[in-house]
Amino acid sequence: MGVKVRIPTPLQKLTNGKAEVECSARNITELVDALEKDYPGIKERLSEGGKVRRFINIYVNDEDIRFVNKEATVLKDGDTISIVPAIAGGCR
Amino acid sequence: MLTITRTDLARIIDHCNAGYPNEMCGILGGRDGRVEKVYCMTNVRPGPVSYEMDPEEQFRVMKDIREAGLAMVGMFHSHPGGHAYPSSVDVERAYWPGTRLPNYPSAVYVIVSLLDRANPVARGYVIEEGRVSEMPLTVLEQQEDHGIAH
Repeated sequence: MGVKVRIPTPLQKLTNGKAEVECSARNITELVDALEKDYPGIKERLSEGGKVRRFINIYVNDEDIRFVNKEATVLKDGDTISIVPAIAGGCR
Repeated sequence: MLTITRTDLARIIDHCNAGYPNEMCGILGGRDGRVEKVYCMTNVRPGPVSYEMDPEEQFRVMKDIREAGLAMVGMFHSHPGGHAYPSSVDVERAYWPGTRLPNYPSAVYVIVSLLDRANPVARGYVIEEGRVSEMPLTVLEQQEDHGIAH
């Protein structure tokens, strides 16, 4: 099963400069593992203890996975997955 | 250098004032270091010392910017009771979690201080590789209207 993954700039060093990669996965957990296999080090950047890191948002097509089924969100052939860092801060 | 019209800067300040005393935020679309579109965003962690853009809105806006052939040239947020300088939290959140890799390397972080509400101060910064550098804002006086999105 093939999906496209849009890689944000800070992670492109791990994907040899590629902004978009393809891989096979049935859900987000599998996707992170599949990416790690091809691009070692990326799993630790994306997740912690099996959960997507705070301040990192993942979308399947246009849907935020937090409002679907989080890491268990099902992927299907042809889906586009976007990894987008949150924009946040605070005057503390 | 980031160039912005007086009208667009006024829109940013109006949005920041509208949410006072909470922090407010937004995204700046444009090209070649020039703001062409101001997107006023929802702060999903509203408070006087915190902001986080609504993730779905952020995704939609980033897509809109791409489809318009523009780039995200910057983002803005307010410091209702602080100076127009990135806080330690602003700097930490500008990096990919656990690294010193900037999330948006070429984007200018515009911070609007409302410490003196009669005289808001807006300044721009680039946050990269452990360094905060001021990126001067050049304000164009002509009243060009590039539109605003919510």
